Amino acid sequence: MMNFLLAVFSQTWRSITETWRSQLLSLITITLSVLIFTFFYLVYVNTLQLGNRLDNDLRLIVYLDEQPDQALQQEYRRKIEKFEVERITFVSKLEAYDRFKAQLKESDDVLKDVPKDFLPSSIEIYPRRSLHSLAQLKDFSDYLAKLPGVLKVQYGREWVERFYSFVQLLRVVVLLSGTLLILTTTFMIGHSIRLTVFSRKRELELLRLVGASNSYIRVPFFLEGALLGAFGSTAGLSALYLLFRWIQGNFAAQAAQSMFAFSFFSASTLLAIIVLSTLLCAGGSFVSIRKILSI
Amino acid sequence: MSNEEKRPTMIDLARVSKTFPPDTHALDDVSLRIRQGEMIFLTGQSGAGKTTLLRLLCAIDIPDKGYIEIAGQDLSRATDTELQNLRRRIGVAYQDFKLLPDKTVAQNIAYSMEVSYRSRQFIRSQTEKLLTELHLLDKMDAPAGCLSRGEQQRVAIARAAANEPELILADEPTGNLDAETTELVMQLFHRYNEQGATLLVATHDHSIYDYPGSKIIKIENGRLAIQKPVGTGRKAETRA
Ligand SMILES: Nc1ncnc2c1ncn2[C@@H]1O[C@H](COP(=O)(O)OP(=O)(O)OP(=O)(O)O)[C@@H](O)[C@H]1O
Ligand SMILES: [Mg+2]
Repeated sequence: MMNFLLAVFSQTWRSITETWRSQLLSLITITLSVLIFTFFYLVYVNTLQLGNRLDNDLRLIVYLDEQPDQALQQEYRRKIEKFEVERITFVSKLEAYDRFKAQLKESDDVLKDVPKDFLPSSIEIYPRRSLHSLAQLKDFSDYLAKLPGVLKVQYGREWVERFYSFVQLLRVVVLLSGTLLILTTTFMIGHSIRLTVFSRKRELELLRLVGASNSYIRVPFFLEGALLGAFGSTAGLSALYLLFRWIQGNFAAQAAQSMFAFSFFSASTLLAIIVLSTLLCAGGSFVSIRKILSI
Repeated sequence: MSNEEKRPTMIDLARVSKTFPPDTHALDDVSLRIRQGEMIFLTGQSGAGKTTLLRLLCAIDIPDKGYIEIAGQDLSRATDTELQNLRRRIGVAYQDFKLLPDKTVAQNIAYSMEVSYRSRQFIRSQTEKLLTELHLLDKMDAPAGCLSRGEQQRVAIARAAANEPELILADEPTGNLDAETTELVMQLFHRYNEQGATLLVATHDHSIYDYPGSKIIKIENGRLAIQKPVGTGRKAETRA
């Protein structure tokens, strides 16, 4: 076993030292594909986080014509909780008045002559901040509007819908660039293996003649693919990080930091991307070597 | 001789035929049994079918008809893995050497041992020993493509012998060698034969068959002509 590994590693090393020039193109292609994919993915992840921070704009306010008693509140709560909601708050007329007054601060004397119950009572609903529930927001508000005793449903419709379609678009772009990544990677791996097989044709023939086992022939290609994947994705992520730092240095200073703090991938996401690319390349090389050498 | 008959069979050919298109009968109905530890010389005119026979034995080609068994393994039924295991136990010196010209002599020889996962020290010492024996030690790190034909031939022989095979197939191993160097190669073959290896040597060279206990098999136009033991001592009267 030890000797097997040694032999296979030295085979791999030999093959790489001989063919690295022709592998460079594959490496660059993989690096670029990883860079493109992770760029969009990073934008997507950050956009979702942005959505998470904008709590209040995702709040639905249901205005009621009557102040609901306990039983009615229970009834509403039961109906609303059929949807994915995080929190429901009932706001009575008085509470609404107090809040309004607090908002007005010094100029609250305009309220002098107004009765304290001039504002309608309402229910504030915070939908769960998942894409699914965001997508359902319109249906949800239509449903709420049809409940008995409801005057009006209000939410940052325009904004939420625009934000949602942007996220949708991003999702499509991420999926597309992911597919592109898989396609180019497997294609380039197949291509580079074909090159290696071609340049080592006589050697591979000799290996067959002296009785090399299939795995002795196959494993070096497999390792080469895995190395291409590991190096390619690491290089792609490094390039992305440089780009990220550059953007931060040049633009983030002007943007309101608290509102739009752009963050990089976590260590575990980075690791996952590298591992997945490595597996993808190793798998791709495994498939193409079986096809090309028919072993 | 009775002692010899009890030894297990190394190579068994039964009614083997091989035809190349359009109609070259390279081998025609050949039956042959070679026992373990034997030393056989395969002779015959150019084009008689010697190389064809050796190629069938190492399963590079498959026969059109007939049955081939090597070390108890039926070649027609062997799986890929069985065939690979078998090939690692056979050392072959090809007529066209099959050396990799860009690789050094040592690397070329190492191939036959690396596929059996031999240790570095084994590969190193075996390479040095064989190259010393064949007077090629100074060429160890030279690219095989830069060597003369005779030197390349010896490298091919060293590669065939390096993994301590049970069976050595040598196709015209002394074709490019002078008498002295031929003697070196034959000494090497004898050393392996004494250690128990079976040798099958295809050759035109009459001077190399006369060793005690070896046998000559002659092929003529793809048919087995004669099988006979060779003389009793070195350089005895053995011309066929
Ligand atoms: N691949 C092939 N295609 C067509 N004919 C072939 C092929 N290989 C061998 N032959 C023919 O088969 C016959 C036997 O060839 P083989 O190479 O076995 O002869 P040989 O005894 O080894 O000759 P030599 O002593 O010159 O090496 C020859 O007539 C040769 O032309
Ligand atoms: Mg020949």
